[in-house]
Amino acid sequence: MKHGMTVSVLLLGLIFVPNLIAGGQQEAVAGEEVSIEVYYPVAVDAPIAKILDGYIAEFEESNPGITVKPVFSGGYGDVKTAVQTTIEGGGTPPALAVLLATDLYDLLNAGYIAPFDPFLDSMKGEKAYLNDFYDSFLENSRYEGQIWSLPFQRSAVVMYYNADLFRDQGIAKPDSWEALAVAARDLTKKEGDKIVRWGIEWPSDWPYWLFQPLAIGNGQNIVGDSDTDVFFDDPKVIEAIEYYISLSEKYEAMPSGVQASWGAAPSNFASGNTAMIVHSTGSLTGILNQTDFQVGVMPIPASTKGEFASVPGGGNLYLMDGVSDAEKAAAFRFAQFLTEPERVADFSIQTGYIATRKSAYKTDVMKAYTGKIPQALETRDALEYAGKELSIQNLGEVRNIFHNYIQAAFNGEMSAREAMQTAQVKAEKALEDFK
Amino acid sequence: MVITGKPARQRLLPYLLVFPTVLFVTVFTVYPTLRAVVNSLYRQRLNIAKYRTPAFVGLENYIQLFNDPEFLTVLTNTFIYVLGVVPLCVATAFVFAELVNKKMRGIGFVRLALFHPSILPLVSAATIWMFLFTPDYGLFNSALRLFGYTGPENWTANPDLALMSVMIVAVWKNTGFFMIFYLAGLQNLPQSVYEAAKLEGAGPIRTAVSITLPLLKRTSLFVSTIAFISAFQAVDHVFVLTGGGPSNKSTILLFYLWQERFEKLNVGQSSAITVILIIILLVFTISNFVVSERKEVDYE
Repeated sequence: MKHGMTVSVLLLGLIFVPNLIAGGQQEAVAGEEVSIEVYYPVAVDAPIAKILDGYIAEFEESNPGITVKPVFSGGYGDVKTAVQTTIEGGGTPPALAVLLATDLYDLLNAGYIAPFDPFLDSMKGEKAYLNDFYDSFLENSRYEGQIWSLPFQRSAVVMYYNADLFRDQGIAKPDSWEALAVAARDLTKKEGDKIVRWGIEWPSDWPYWLFQPLAIGNGQNIVGDSDTDVFFDDPKVIEAIEYYISLSEKYEAMPSGVQASWGAAPSNFASGNTAMIVHSTGSLTGILNQTDFQVGVMPIPASTKGEFASVPGGGNLYLMDGVSDAEKAAAFRFAQFLTEPERVADFSIQTGYIATRKSAYKTDVMKAYTGKIPQALETRDALEYAGKELSIQNLGEVRNIFHNYIQAAFNGEMSAREAMQTAQVKAEKALEDFK
Repeated sequence: MVITGKPARQRLLPYLLVFPTVLFVTVFTVYPTLRAVVNSLYRQRLNIAKYRTPAFVGLENYIQLFNDPEFLTVLTNTFIYVLGVVPLCVATAFVFAELVNKKMRGIGFVRLALFHPSILPLVSAATIWMFLFTPDYGLFNSALRLFGYTGPENWTANPDLALMSVMIVAVWKNTGFFMIFYLAGLQNLPQSVYEAAKLEGAGPIRTAVSITLPLLKRTSLFVSTIAFISAFQAVDHVFVLTGGGPSNKSTILLFYLWQERFEKLNVGQSSAITVILIIILLVFTISNFVVSERKEVDYE
């Protein structure tokens, strides 16, 4: 019984305990010392905490009167949970938080975030500042004419290929679905019945993100421009699913069914167990550190020859509502500091994330870095082909529906058409309340 | 009952002594439980503006849940998980305890080897298992192939194996912990019965079934109770191994509760799931208590 209660304590305690803790905090008064908190996740294999501590020390030195307290909170999901429980418990949220770019609508509807506009408006060169961000990164920040987040740690879907193998076998860089499938088939190596090298691995344990470039590359993204439109059952999306399945069923170049290989794929690639992987640009540094062959990076080939596709991902800086104006102003100043070109460049070099601003690539440090590692430019160039990441009202539920049914199709439990038609009906029902 | 003749200070003392416990239980157990019951009667969805303010809907949340095939799948998964993990854990723990209840060189090391999974945090254990489950070169698959296994190797992504992979990790993780209770129980048993059994010519299996198991009935009840409850509580390995997938095949109740509350921001629905979870645990604990009380009478 005591244990049973412990369950409820753990779950429900979360809702009101932060209340007690945060109750003692005091509101900052404008003009005096301001102290702000920043909640952030660590989602890649990089010393994010150390890097941020360095930036904060630099910032505090040049901004006397502002103290920044970084709070490491786990993964993206954990940061969102921490923000939620703090606010729902009646506590004071952090002034700034790094959350998924796609979380916008949930955060907005719940009334957790504040727009950047009042601060941007009072800034000199606002237009130039915003225009300097890559469009595909800023796309998830805009809603109803306002800016709700600033791009911070951003990535995109790319394909890594073993350029040595391509060269040795005289295979050209694939520029269409057909060419990709054939290359993958030709690069698959068998010893007897056993496959010793896959042509391609395409993780699908968290499927929507890595799948989106296939749909976009076939001319129909799974999400529309509005915040309530999904196109799961569009014939082109269904075709994209069938193409994915054909890589294993028809070409026998990819492990069949759902591939729970997000964590293992980069090392499988580095150790030569697979010739190509579809993964995040965030894995670039890790992959380069592990490999002794030439690594190629490119966007995902589209169904039409010569066209490509990608999709952005990663986290943005959000200004939280429910803190004093002075704290918001301090938080904005810190966000601005983090997005200065030199710092964006440094952050990109140290972590492997794509630099979020065009001017960052013009800095000397970045030029020196991309001179040594030209792949870092290719990850950026993939953005040119990027469509919109799945960001939608009721994201948690809609994304879940899509995941469940696309996995059912990948695992052969349903046909692609049947799965997507069901997913579409369910998603539309989940979006009913927003139309 | 009237207590007389004692100074007020002395009468107050017992209450003072239990006060911290009562306070703790009230704040961290009673209040959250009541709060969950109340919240479960309201519709509240944090990500839908018009449902942001709680509105009383009676039993609507429960009705919706039990009409939702997804929830019924989750319930089924949960019962398969619990009914698979608990008996297997308890039985293996007993066998292990019998095996290591010996005086011989190096037995301490064997005991440690069997016990160590329970010291590891579940998340780390699951991360290690993630590698063991890897198709082709994963240790688990390599070991299975030695025994002639030729089936699918993508344990965490295969619709027929995902739930089983989560169960395997749970059994591996908990068995050593339950073994300790059996070991303690075994070492407290009187040696005279065993000497008598030996004189009568009873073999090891006969001894285990006819003597050890009946004598350890209380230990078994205790172990199965905590095994049952911890089976409902464990959720970390689901996050790491399968994320509830593929297609909800390995989603169990507590994971689903987390999804409803923190991914779908559905406060009402998740409170209803909390209440259902509490009821399941209460029903089990109370019936277990009643059964064990009756068994006690048999034995005295």
